[in-house]
Amino acid sequence: MSIVKNARLLATRGARLAQNQSRRNYSDEMKLTFAAANKTFYDAAVVRQIDVPSFSGAFGILAKHVPTLAVLKPGVVQVVENDGKLTKYFVSSGSVTVNEDSSVQVLAEEAHNVADIDVNEARQLLSKYQSQLSSAGDDKAKAEAAIAVEVAEALVKAAE
Amino acid sequence: MTNAWRAAGITYIQYSNIAARVLREALRTELRADAAKRNESHVKFTPWANGRPAPRQNQSES
Repeated sequence: MSIVKNARLLATRGARLAQNQSRRNYSDEMKLTFAAANKTFYDAAVVRQIDVPSFSGAFGILAKHVPTLAVLKPGVVQVVENDGKLTKYFVSSGSVTVNEDSSVQVLAEEAHNVADIDVNEARQLLSKYQSQLSSAGDDKAKAEAAIAVEVAEALVKAAE
Repeated sequence: MTNAWRAAGITYIQYSNIAARVLREALRTELRADAAKRNESHVKFTPWANGRPAPRQNQSES
């Protein structure tokens, strides 16, 4: 009984796979999954546009975008929902994946709504890390401070 | 991708850690304390011997 049932399940799954393969065209809808270690912002939600900052430059993603992989840079991710509502999030780092079926995954180590950034705090951090950079001894400490300065600059720019 | 930090031997994972920490530090006061908890992660090791977790003194040694 259960073998018959499993066989039927497998058969439907196989048929579905075959269907997907023959369809293999780009979807008109873009499904966004945007998550960070602290929060899930979108879970396969249909959105209109996403702008992401990456090491290969900032770029916008619409449905039918060419499949892409990119490494996130600290900065602002903008999400335009289907009703035209724009939300800005600050991401620390992570990755963005654009798949052939127009699904997009933005995975960040830390992400927050831009409104949750304290601009005065960000300015203080910027000057703190700038002085840390100028007083850094070895190359590693210098590089670490430079990263912090870069992030603080992006934070100030985003929060202003 | 020739970044200064990469030349100094820092990996993207380390870069990411620093970036995430700075972002947490810049949050509004009410969110900051909770976010700071994510700055550290803990790993607990339990050595196993003969299919059982080893006694405590072994655990602290390792």
